[in-house]
Amino acid sequence: MSILSPEQQAIKQAAKDFVAKHIIPFAAQYDKTCEFHPYLLEASKESKIFAMAVPKEYGGLDYDALTQALVLEEWGYGCAGMGTTLAASVLSMDSVLVAGNDDQKRRFFTPMLNAEIGSFGLTEPGAGSDAGAGKTTAVKVGNEYILNGTKCWITNGAFASVYVIYALTDPAAGMKGISAFIVERGLPGFTIGTVDHKLGIRSSNTVELLLKDVHVPVTNLLGKEGEGMKIAMKTLDMARPAIAALSVGLAQRALDECVKHVHATFTGKSYPGQTLQFKLADMQIQVDAARLSLHNAMILRDAGLPYSKESAISKTFCSDVAMQVTTMAVSLMGSYGYINLGKYMRDSKIMQIYEGTNQIQRLVISRAVLAPPPAVAIAQKAGK
Amino acid sequence: MPKCLVCYKWTLDEQDIKIKPEDLSLDSSRAKGKISDFDRNAIEEAALLVEKNGGAVDALTYGTPTVKLSLKDALSRGPEKAYWIADASADAADGCVTANVLAAAIRKLGQYDVILCGEGSSDLFNQQTAPRLAALLGLPCLSFVNKLSVEGDVVKATRKLEDCMETVTVKGPVVISVLSEINKPRIPSLKQVLGASKKPNEEIKIADLGLKPEDLQPKAVRKSVKGFVMQRKNVIYKESSAADNVAKLKSSLVSEGLC
Amino acid sequence: MNFELTEEQQLIGQSAREFGKQHLEPIAVELDHTGTFPKAVVNGLAKHDFLGLLLPAEVGGAEAGFVSYVEVIENLSRYSAAVASIVNNHTIAAYTIQNWGTAEQKKQYLPGMAKGEILGGFAIYEHGPTPGVGANALVAVKQDVGYVLNGKKAFVRNAGEANVYVVFATTDPAAGAKALTAFIVKADAIGIKIGEKLETMGLKGCPVADITFENVVIPENALLGAINEGGAISAKALAVASVAEAAQTVGIGQAAVEHAAAYAKQRVQFGKPVATLQAIQTLLAEVATDCHLARLGMQNAAVLIEEGKPFEVEAAMIKSFLVRLGSKMLLDTCQVEGGFGYSEFMPLPRMFRDIAGTNLLDAPGDFPEKLIAASIA
Repeated sequence: MSILSPEQQAIKQAAKDFVAKHIIPFAAQYDKTCEFHPYLLEASKESKIFAMAVPKEYGGLDYDALTQALVLEEWGYGCAGMGTTLAASVLSMDSVLVAGNDDQKRRFFTPMLNAEIGSFGLTEPGAGSDAGAGKTTAVKVGNEYILNGTKCWITNGAFASVYVIYALTDPAAGMKGISAFIVERGLPGFTIGTVDHKLGIRSSNTVELLLKDVHVPVTNLLGKEGEGMKIAMKTLDMARPAIAALSVGLAQRALDECVKHVHATFTGKSYPGQTLQFKLADMQIQVDAARLSLHNAMILRDAGLPYSKESAISKTFCSDVAMQVTTMAVSLMGSYGYINLGKYMRDSKIMQIYEGTNQIQRLVISRAVLAPPPAVAIAQKAGK
Repeated sequence: MPKCLVCYKWTLDEQDIKIKPEDLSLDSSRAKGKISDFDRNAIEEAALLVEKNGGAVDALTYGTPTVKLSLKDALSRGPEKAYWIADASADAADGCVTANVLAAAIRKLGQYDVILCGEGSSDLFNQQTAPRLAALLGLPCLSFVNKLSVEGDVVKATRKLEDCMETVTVKGPVVISVLSEINKPRIPSLKQVLGASKKPNEEIKIADLGLKPEDLQPKAVRKSVKGFVMQRKNVIYKESSAADNVAKLKSSLVSEGLC
Repeated sequence: MNFELTEEQQLIGQSAREFGKQHLEPIAVELDHTGTFPKAVVNGLAKHDFLGLLLPAEVGGAEAGFVSYVEVIENLSRYSAAVASIVNNHTIAAYTIQNWGTAEQKKQYLPGMAKGEILGGFAIYEHGPTPGVGANALVAVKQDVGYVLNGKKAFVRNAGEANVYVVFATTDPAAGAKALTAFIVKADAIGIKIGEKLETMGLKGCPVADITFENVVIPENALLGAINEGGAISAKALAVASVAEAAQTVGIGQAAVEHAAAYAKQRVQFGKPVATLQAIQTLLAEVATDCHLARLGMQNAAVLIEEGKPFEVEAAMIKSFLVRLGSKMLLDTCQVEGGFGYSEFMPLPRMFRDIAGTNLLDAPGDFPEKLIAASIA
């Protein structure tokens, strides 16, 4: 792991303590009942952790990227579902960070200081990986936009106070006609649809959002009309490592639970043989490497350096590691694993899918890999 | 104690047939064989009749040489003996040819009280075998049968027609074609499957049927078989109000006979 | 070398497939939700001779052979792997009695097991490191009335529903696994306590529980095989079981890849079906390949079992292969379906949870690689 400053270590420890007290004891219960429970928000008020990415000038904790990753790893360790709640809220405010004006930022971020959460509304039934294929529309009438459409698989949808919704202001322009809007909860015509029962991260709330003639003031448009996809892509770039962090925590947790069980099983003189030892070693190698790839991406971001490729690499690698480690954990620990470690395996699968599937990530990465080296690129440009 | 004969066809399982997108031609190279769906109902109905009334069921099939693969399948479903005619002529056979061959075979095998067929085959669905067979054998034909019983020497059947249900009785030998709703074909138990190999089967050579070459020539010649891919209509209603759009959709559905 | 199934084997597989479609498909989702033992379905399986498939005709079995058996398991697993688990665990118990039982024991239990009137369970695993499986948590002491069992068995499938258990206990705790001995224990023996049903990730409907034995007295003739023969018996039975489980993995994987392929053909993103994207093609192809090769390996081991030839190495190989690549079949097909592969209203999540239960390493000291390496080095 990277060498942390005393401040970062303190924040990490505080997160660890919070998770031990408020998340770990309840994770299994809410996984079983498949519900997000707002007790989590109540418990988070004191620490203001839902404002960890909010800049200081708006009253937030303004944690740097690496510190946010430390917090999210602890939450992923405790419960990937509850970690998703935090990560998705930060995802939604990232859009406002990227494109919001001062007033919009204030309006969006202030509720988060009190552990109210945000929700990111991009996905539609026909627009998954093809995020630009969305059909939700926003028609300008006077000093309002009227939004119509359906969003699906929206995290935090039923509990958020603020949403970022992507809609077409210019359907004829396709992807280039998408705009981003802040939508506040409770607007007439804005309804929460069905709740999705999922394989994992069951303590995270996932719903449909139904928009029927939702009137949104022009002051809620983020950036300019047509900038929606650009904003979405920048947002996802920033938010990818959050999933990497959750994945690292999840993988570490599965590994720790295996080790606990091995200690409980092999008592006295008996000791696990080489095969088992080496499988645990492989799991640790993967988790450590995953964590380092994530920290590398975060250090680049905090240094103000380009980190898009590293961001995609860390999301892909960390989620793949989580999937492999948690799958191995179940199999390795036999029926005990099948009964007690299944949640980690179920939670891992979504890490490879949401916030850009690992196939989309590989497109991003391969583009960077295959891009001509800088000197050649300059020469090519000059040649044109 | 009716003596039953059930005629069945060995067809390709349409699930395994792929439609080539370039020209909609069919790729059957990986298709496995199966007993034609409605024929399964016919076999099951024969088995049920015999379970209720006593007697025995024979099975008869005419197909290309692959028809040998069908015998154990058929024998695991109730029949006591299977007769089979394997000849290349089956590949292009139309309703006339099929009926000629089956009728000639039946004349050789002897008297049956009830001859059962499926209403149509799962590949061509010409629905001609039963009526033609009846005509050639000089027997009555009951088609679209969805309920069947035998009381003494009287066969009682219910026919499902488009606008009504017709109940018919017949005394003496009869050819019957059944609908799929008449019964639910049993899933052969393992013992029935393994017992099938102990049951007899007998080949009837087409040369021994006394048919003329023209009897084996199809009068309707199949030129091509192409896949049908359903195209979406892609109609968008753009009226000024939702009510108008719904009205347009409704009238469109009505005109298509969908509601 | 003939890779084709015989006609009988194909027809038996076809019957299992039809049974699965008619009787398992309609109940699979609800069974997964409630976990309630599907008694009606198990009775239906018995009527079709599936529960007595391997047993000889003289006890009322179908005597169909092990290749037919794995065909049945694969086809049932396409629709409900949980039900296939019930059949597997029952069959392994019956197999053990068939191969090591006395004439009286066979007469007492096998006709009922063939008919499904007696359901079997197999109690081998224990909590703890088990150097050598099932070594010392259950002790059998010889007395003049027979044997007295004390201790605990872990993770017994069909627990609470089985009428008879093949139980492995040690007759000498100091010797541990070397003194492992098999017994046939009736479920209604006094002192047997079926523990609380354990909540598994999948294969719900096949109950799993610990069983505690408190001074359970069993007669002399409950001894199965010879004293101290339990190690050899369980090794062979578990090897057969791993081939049967491999058939489950293959059945689930096959159903999953077919579902994912159909999904990919109709899911349009970026203007075309995602099945046209190389990324999706790679995922589907790898799963189809692994499933195909697993099937061949599994069938090879099944042929050896049916022909009475040595098979333990091949059984260990298919187990080793599927521990590495079995669950991957569902990791990848869920990936193809994206969000739909994560929603429990679609079938893949249930299959994901099920397949992980078919390649468990339940004996922490005993990896299949040990036996494979011993056969070559």
